[in-house]
Amino acid sequence: MSQQFIQLVVSGLAVGAVYALVGLAFIMVNEATGVVNFATGQMVAIGCFLSVSTGIQMGLPLGPAYALALVAMALFGIVFYAVVFRPLQDRPVVTVIIGTVMIGIVIQNSALMTWGSVPFRPRSPFGRQVVDVFGAAISAHALFVIAVAFLMIGLLYGFIYRTAIGARMRAVAQDRDAARLMGISVDRMFVLTWVIAGLLTGAAGILVGPMWFADVNMGDPIALKAFAAIIIGGFSSVPGAIVGGILVGLAEMLGAAYISSAYKDGLVFLVMILFLLVRPQGIFGERIGQRA
Amino acid sequence: MIDRRLLAACAVFLLALLLPAFISGYGIRILNLALISAIAVIGLNFAFGYAGLITLAQAGFVGCGAYITAILSTTLGLSPWLSIPAAMVGAGVIAVVIGLPMLRLKGHYLALATLGFNVSFVIVATNWKSLMGGTDGISGIPALALPGWSLGTDHRYYYVVWVALAVATWCAWRIRNSHIGLAMIAVRDDEIATGAASVGVTRIKVQAFGLSAVYAGLAGALFAHMTNFVAPDDFALGHSIIYLAMLIIGGEGSILGAIAGAVIVTFMPELMRDLGTAYLIIFGGLMLLILIFLPKGLLSLAGIVGRRLKALSR
Repeated sequence: MSQQFIQLVVSGLAVGAVYALVGLAFIMVNEATGVVNFATGQMVAIGCFLSVSTGIQMGLPLGPAYALALVAMALFGIVFYAVVFRPLQDRPVVTVIIGTVMIGIVIQNSALMTWGSVPFRPRSPFGRQVVDVFGAAISAHALFVIAVAFLMIGLLYGFIYRTAIGARMRAVAQDRDAARLMGISVDRMFVLTWVIAGLLTGAAGILVGPMWFADVNMGDPIALKAFAAIIIGGFSSVPGAIVGGILVGLAEMLGAAYISSAYKDGLVFLVMILFLLVRPQGIFGERIGQRA
Repeated sequence: MIDRRLLAACAVFLLALLLPAFISGYGIRILNLALISAIAVIGLNFAFGYAGLITLAQAGFVGCGAYITAILSTTLGLSPWLSIPAAMVGAGVIAVVIGLPMLRLKGHYLALATLGFNVSFVIVATNWKSLMGGTDGISGIPALALPGWSLGTDHRYYYVVWVALAVATWCAWRIRNSHIGLAMIAVRDDEIATGAASVGVTRIKVQAFGLSAVYAGLAGALFAHMTNFVAPDDFALGHSIIYLAMLIIGGEGSILGAIAGAVIVTFMPELMRDLGTAYLIIFGGLMLLILIFLPKGLLSLAGIVGRRLKALSR
């Protein structure tokens, strides 16, 4: 029991860390550019499949394979900025929602044509290695996922709050016009935001691959959980995305084991809807006057 | 202008009565599906086109209607002529119950909440095996029949769907021009001003949401009695997005646009069947182009072309 419990908690934390990364990509874009990106899940899938291409199909060692996949995802972010964001910028919310959903369909089916419908099983840098944690056998990859995710979140935090470029990005997020008047190149900050979104979703895709399978349809389920995570945590809050992601990951794993594996996703959405109704600002809140 | 459009609409409706004579088995099934989708999209037009509510739950309400009529007409053996109205009422009641708390949300928060409802509906339908049949769905749903005359074939069913669509369109047009429709549009255009003019904003939103679900319930029930089988996949989130896409392609805020969008989007895969798997890439790209370059839908293209021609002829 207790050994199983520790295993569940660790895998819940690992899955939750991935949701947190995806949620952060979503929040970064929404805060800086005001675009609600419904293609975020498909970006995760592309990140995962790029690591399949570099790591399995090209046969690179995993270090360079991951690096190359992340570089490709950064470029993908720039392409996304130019092709999708520019034309949809400043359109009504619903146009952006449907537009990014349609882009998600395009990406998903392009991935289907490129990589086929048979799932891949990416290998982990740690193989099937198992570590002993408090007497429970824990997969080393799960610990790797948690460590990398939190390292990335830490780096992002430092970048946003400790560097001059981060301050410019925050200025653009707070007031675009005022930032432009202060001499900040708003468009350059937008490009940077999409690059960061590409890196975050790419990392999430690379990390999640060895835990599950690399499947072209993997995007939507991950994005839906990440939505739930940021609503629970607070739509514009970085700590909120982390806490929300981990809560969703734990709820998914523990709920599947102890309540009902069939209704584990329903449980997550029930909690999300309850949060929307009772505490729409999420755990960590957000600026007043945006939601209702 | 309005009168000419009304005449044209009536003419198209009457001409559509002749279609079954020219279309073979598979084509008429697709046409039936298109008209059923049109009913759901006309409903969605109340919530989204008029009241401006971004809802991603329409397929869920279509599913509510389909399952209600399926359960009533198989397990309870009720006549379809009674279970279809029950499906409409049931879907509407569910929408009002979840709409009362949910419709306080706006913009993408409402989109995400309704998305959560649609995903939850599929999860429940997949797992509640005793009532909703799980992934196997519910089969053996009876076809419609008049005394001594079965409406089971696709060609005969076309007239059922045609009548339903005609009535649905007429009702929608009447509602659009009543004080309820005007209040919905007022809420969309300026919620605060509408509230200040002593119009109950929440009540109007719940009415629009409930009305859209009643239409969805009718569409779902007609679908269930046509295919004689319902399963969760037909009501997944993707279909909600397609309904919204139909409305935007046709032109939001327009009843005829809703019908045109439903017909175009339903037939698009048939026209592009040679493309195989590339079809969805083209479809997504086309939709994006329409969103960017024709934000008022394809019907606005007709208006633009018409004005150009008039300007040229002068």
